[in-house]
Amino acid sequence: MHDTFAFITQVWCRFGIAAYRKYSSGGGYPNISLSAPLPGIPKPVFASVDGQEKYETKITTLENGLKVASQNKFGQFCTVGSKKTSIFSQYGSKDEILLTLEKHGGICDCQTSRDTTMYAVSAEVKGLDTVVSLLSDAVLQPRLLDDEIEMTRMAVRFELEDLNMRPDPEPLLTEMIHAAAYRGNTVGLPRFCPVENIEKIDKKVLHKYLCNYYVPERMVLAGVGIEHEQLVDCARKYLLNVKPAWGISTPANVDMSVAQYTGGIVKIEKDMSDVSLGPTPIPELTHIMIGLESCSFLEEDFIPFAVLNMMMGGGGSFSAGGPGKGMFTRLYLNVLNRHHWMYNATSYHHSYEDSGLLCIHASADPRQVREMVEIITKEFIQMTGTAGEMELERAKTQLKSMLMMNLESRPVIFEDVGRQVLSTGKRKLPHELCELISNVTASDIKRVTTKMLRSKPAVAALGDLTELPSYEHIQTALSSKAFR
Amino acid sequence: NVPETKVTTLENGLRVASEDSGLSTCTVGLWIDAGSRYENQRNNGTAHFLEHMAFKGTRKRSQLDLELEIENMGAHLNAYTSREQTVYYAKAFSKDLPRAVEILADIIQNSTLGEAEIERERGVILREMQEVETNLQEVVFDYLHATAYQSTALGRTILGPTENIKTINRGDLVEYITTHYKGPRIVLAAAGGVSHRDLIDLAKYHFGKLPGRYVGEAPALPPCHFTGSEIRVRDDKMPLAHIALAMEAVGWSHPDTIPLMVANTLIGNWDRSFGGGVNLSSKLAQMACQGNLCHSFQSFNTCYTDTGLWGLYMVCEPGTIGDMMHYTQMEWMSLCTSVTEAEVARAKNLLKTNMLLHLDGSTPICEDIGRQMLCYSRRIPLHELEARIDAIDATTIKDVCTKYIYNKAPAIAAVGPIEQLPDYNQLRSGLFWMRS
Repeated sequence: MHDTFAFITQVWCRFGIAAYRKYSSGGGYPNISLSAPLPGIPKPVFASVDGQEKYETKITTLENGLKVASQNKFGQFCTVGSKKTSIFSQYGSKDEILLTLEKHGGICDCQTSRDTTMYAVSAEVKGLDTVVSLLSDAVLQPRLLDDEIEMTRMAVRFELEDLNMRPDPEPLLTEMIHAAAYRGNTVGLPRFCPVENIEKIDKKVLHKYLCNYYVPERMVLAGVGIEHEQLVDCARKYLLNVKPAWGISTPANVDMSVAQYTGGIVKIEKDMSDVSLGPTPIPELTHIMIGLESCSFLEEDFIPFAVLNMMMGGGGSFSAGGPGKGMFTRLYLNVLNRHHWMYNATSYHHSYEDSGLLCIHASADPRQVREMVEIITKEFIQMTGTAGEMELERAKTQLKSMLMMNLESRPVIFEDVGRQVLSTGKRKLPHELCELISNVTASDIKRVTTKMLRSKPAVAALGDLTELPSYEHIQTALSSKAFR
Repeated sequence: NVPETKVTTLENGLRVASEDSGLSTCTVGLWIDAGSRYENQRNNGTAHFLEHMAFKGTRKRSQLDLELEIENMGAHLNAYTSREQTVYYAKAFSKDLPRAVEILADIIQNSTLGEAEIERERGVILREMQEVETNLQEVVFDYLHATAYQSTALGRTILGPTENIKTINRGDLVEYITTHYKGPRIVLAAAGGVSHRDLIDLAKYHFGKLPGRYVGEAPALPPCHFTGSEIRVRDDKMPLAHIALAMEAVGWSHPDTIPLMVANTLIGNWDRSFGGGVNLSSKLAQMACQGNLCHSFQSFNTCYTDTGLWGLYMVCEPGTIGDMMHYTQMEWMSLCTSVTEAEVARAKNLLKTNMLLHLDGSTPICEDIGRQMLCYSRRIPLHELEARIDAIDATTIKDVCTKYIYNKAPAIAAVGPIEQLPDYNQLRSGLFWMRS
């Protein structure tokens, strides 16, 4: 969701206020061009850099099971500027409605995915105590007033409406393929709240959910750019022995189930002939997504799958961006460059604590769906062949660069710390991950893909589906050895 | 306490600016003081066409060689053209910085501009144009420029009209390069894991031969002026109306830019998924939410060298356009007359936080360095920006907003089912208040 912070001021005033008073004694705002320095400002102290990427993540587990993780001294604002603190709490993929709840003064930034919910606050180091107390309040003492819940219902309804109106079908397809792959369980449950549930969700339902899942053992307090001891102290003060708003009744009916991969098909027949919101038409397309079970991010095979996903790559036949977008990935070379009638062919890898899904999204004119399905199944089968040395090296380098480039961003580091600590109790550092990537060989790829091809396919199809082959047909095609 | 931005000027006038944050990845790019504003009616679209040709091969590398080299490095190469700037940049591992700079130097100095590639690229650009036309926000902003800066260079689009895309030839491209790609108009900017010293050496080696001086006069910035006016494109088949309302504001380096940014923050951005309630800092957002007045709105402040557009873009259902316009203008009037210290203080904090959060990762930082070097000939240190924001109070906001909004003629662009959009004179009269 959106974020609004109101926390950072102090730091910034440090250089400012005195200078400004002196300067503006004449009254009014200084009339000095931005091209010239503002007079009367003290010289800043600039930071210098060191090899901070290798700093270890420190982790402490409190008596009640809550984990506290900190990444010391990262980022350029570490000594004065913005800090992030987040609490991750396990989220059994029920209703995203929770995410818009607590907005105490607009300080929180809060996100929900299929398996985790994150609350984050940006603030300066001095405010750490306040921040942790606020987070504790937001997470453990939400007011859940009736009109807040009503407001949230409205926002969720609008979100659903937008989801169905957006010309980009990717979020909807992802939702569908999860439903197909994990029929009726865990990550297969909708991330977006179904319309008919919006009214049913009230304070009681929310409290029950919170009671079951917002328990210390399912939470991590993560901080980036903070002294570990300080963070642990704050956690003790505000997150240990605190009675949550929903009381300390023992969790009942906690969903401890692990994701059960089932495979299957989810179809939505929809007229896509006029999805454009404007006068310029967008061509009518049928979208399919075919997936197979990969593995959880806790398994060793996760890394070869990530490399495989990079090697498949793909994108839109007309996508922006210059070289570097994966022009030599298989879905470009074998699919988009050869079949110009295809609009899109992109590989995705979704991985969770207990299972994972590697899938390919493709779209084309409804009349060419049959051929498109054939081309995509062929790509799946060819994954089990031997990967070329060049393409493998390229995919590994690109995966490493993607990893490191994503980790330039503080919120990403943050999420990475929280997520890893939540699921494994420790954090693999970026350079360790890079090493694991470097070690992937063609036979690793062959091994994991051969295993993957044994699973039942998950299929999602959206649009005009007259030409869509049957599920059995796709299943048979994927298990045939014809292309191998 | 951020790393320092170091700046060095080479003999030919090319400026090198970088900030070293010690990461293992970096962004490095060329920011060039040239965009569609320097074009005329006949060659409008040339700057953008040139940007497309940059990746089509040089005297040293074929298109395929270039693509393979970048992809195998795990790097990214990208470019964009705006009305006043052209940018080419690369993201790469820090260890590959030398190669990235060499490639950037190669594509802007040695591009082959082959006839066959030019012909092929016409089709690609026409296709891109179709793509742009499905993005209604871009369509509305192009109309807004077309009316606000009518009959001047800023009124033209970046892609140029179809006729030009079909006729721009090699000569146009070469002429554009020789006129504009000169040392003093180029900044080599970098952020992430970059050593300034290394970068200077690389710049000297690869850009040393770039011409620095003009034979005769350097091309002057084409003059542009604002006209209060409107463009309406009514289409009742569209579900939603897309409308931009803008006032003439100021150029990049004008001191009033910062109070106007605070004013922008006061009006804020909103879309329906934000929800509502007392937690929204923007009053307009609260009203939009309670009255179900629109699907989304965002305030903008688009700056050019010597002028700018300050306003609001909104997406509404046809029936709520009148109300949404009314409340927007009410809020604008209250900025000019009655905004409170508490509101301004909140907006100042929000603006500072947003600026800070935006500078996250090497690409946004590099982008900030490059843009600021072209706009201000320096990078404004963060603490100075802070001090400038701190110096603003409610009186500043009232004074500055009155100067640019109160009783001034707006520019309006509207697309969609806009029957209910009040006529120009009525909207014009919403920009002053009668008082006894």
